[in-house]
Amino acid sequence: MTHPEFTLHDLLHNSVERDPDAVAVVDGKAEYTYGDLDRASGSLCAALVEAGVEKGDRVGVFLEKSWEAIVAMLAASRTGAAYVNINPLFKPPQVAYLAQDCDIRVMIGDAARLDELDPGTVSGTAFYKGERPRERAAGGLTDLVEVLARGDAPDETRQVSEADLATILYTSGSTGMPKGVATSQRNVVAGAQIVTTYLENTHEDRILSALPLHFDAGMSQFTTSLRVGATLVLQRSRLPGDLTKALRRHEITGVTGVPPLWSLLLRNAKSIQEEPLVHLRYIANTGGRIPQANLEELKRLLTELSSTRVYLMYGLTEAFRSTYLPPDEVYRSSPERGWCIGKAIPNTEIYVIDDAGHPCAPGEVGELVHRGPTVAMGYWGNEEATAKAYRPNPLAPPELLDVERVVYSGDLVQRDEEGYLYLLGRNDAMIKTQGYRLSPEEVENLLIGSGLVHEACAFGIPDPEMGHLVVAVVSLKDGNEAAGAVEQIREHVIKNGPPYMVPREILVEDELPKTGSGKIDRKGISNAYANG
Amino acid sequence: MTVSTENAAAAIHEWLRENVTGGREVADDYPLIDNGVLTSLQTVELVTFLEERFGIVVEDEEFDEENFGSVRAIAGLVSSKTA
Repeated sequence: MTHPEFTLHDLLHNSVERDPDAVAVVDGKAEYTYGDLDRASGSLCAALVEAGVEKGDRVGVFLEKSWEAIVAMLAASRTGAAYVNINPLFKPPQVAYLAQDCDIRVMIGDAARLDELDPGTVSGTAFYKGERPRERAAGGLTDLVEVLARGDAPDETRQVSEADLATILYTSGSTGMPKGVATSQRNVVAGAQIVTTYLENTHEDRILSALPLHFDAGMSQFTTSLRVGATLVLQRSRLPGDLTKALRRHEITGVTGVPPLWSLLLRNAKSIQEEPLVHLRYIANTGGRIPQANLEELKRLLTELSSTRVYLMYGLTEAFRSTYLPPDEVYRSSPERGWCIGKAIPNTEIYVIDDAGHPCAPGEVGELVHRGPTVAMGYWGNEEATAKAYRPNPLAPPELLDVERVVYSGDLVQRDEEGYLYLLGRNDAMIKTQGYRLSPEEVENLLIGSGLVHEACAFGIPDPEMGHLVVAVVSLKDGNEAAGAVEQIREHVIKNGPPYMVPREILVEDELPKTGSGKIDRKGISNAYANG
Repeated sequence: MTVSTENAAAAIHEWLRENVTGGREVADDYPLIDNGVLTSLQTVELVTFLEERFGIVVEDEEFDEENFGSVRAIAGLVSSKTA
């Protein structure tokens, strides 16, 4: 390792020097080496600079997972700008909000996606992949694929340090719109160092990227693979037949997924039984608890037949990753013992803090508080939310003047005598569905946006496969008939929001119950629903 | 019951409008999975719909992008299973 690891592109430079001909990315039938990644991201870096991207600017990436999406992140990093990976499932209203919230000047996107955006969403240039879109959403258009082929020398005169903003990771916000977690170069690099350490990644790994890149845990397959010089295989289809085919064809050694992915994989139990996945060294779960029956089945089909190790991880976007349960300890998570999330990841401390701000004794319930180098910089442009989640370290000596920030997760946990953490729930109404963290307010906002809804209340109903199912209870504006309105509301939600935000059920009530303070009684409504 | 590819395609288009695109039409050969129109969980729901509507069974090994990558491919699968 010749370059000290300060920035994302330092990780690239090390892997290029280790072996420029090693395959860095597999996208469909195409394979790209580390040398290719260096040249393509250099060309795009030069083009971004030419398009006026300054250090500290935000560059939007609105691409389906692809070679170009990987190049875009590195190119932005090399200019000293921050990349903002936008969920490809987002519809124009969410993209317009994001672009405005963090002032996206330049956007790199699929032509069809750019074409659907509201006029003026991007003030500067849009780099498009595919057929030239209409000149509407952006101030100018450049063909991305043509730029990547140029081979221009990048502008490396800009000093980029670990203190610079590397990316903004958008997550669901309680104001009804997504909020951006401002993540530094130091956070990104520390995350890659930590994860490669406990997953024991090497350049021989062939890592499947099955999660979306806008998701912190999905970005992690890219950053870890980049750091060790491994091969990253981009997987768009998560259909059961395609998953086993990809695992076999590419001789995948590691997969990270969320619980619904394992359910899809397990549909191939018979095929895996007949032809075990002998190359698969590990699987790692995040974003929710795997139903016990599925966990047992994974251990039977993978650990027993191909010595595949199973890691259970826990993380929150505000601090990238927090804890993990190593393969030999997975038995600790069971219906009898509870949902064990293990211990702190390397170079990190996890505190359990009670309401008064004191550390909890073993067995006492408190909030999970994360301390370490992945604690992000805060929520972009949101002082109130930042002050709530990013607080001074309660256990630091007062002489340090409260400058160190730790993350208060909102998750309630308990530590056992041996130091293992157990997750009990949350102290707010956050919904966890399909690996996504979703605030009820965001769903309610979308429902009210239909113009038919007077008041809305969204909540999660526990579901073993999905984590939660989203359910909504609404009251209608005067003059709307329940029968037709529900269909129209549903249509509005599907058109204007990503699929995981669409309620499974929309129920109509004349009026929504209120609490003593006059707010909609979400807890009461969800309990009433759960009790039939 | 034999189902023509045209009838199967019409049912799939209707299901997509109601459950995925919010009324927007997609072309018969538009890449649904590669372009991220259809998520894996939505595809599972689509399979359940097709199985109930046409009385077919989709085997797990058939449950892939080759068969579900576009309206045309899905309609072809349904039609071949009812022939």
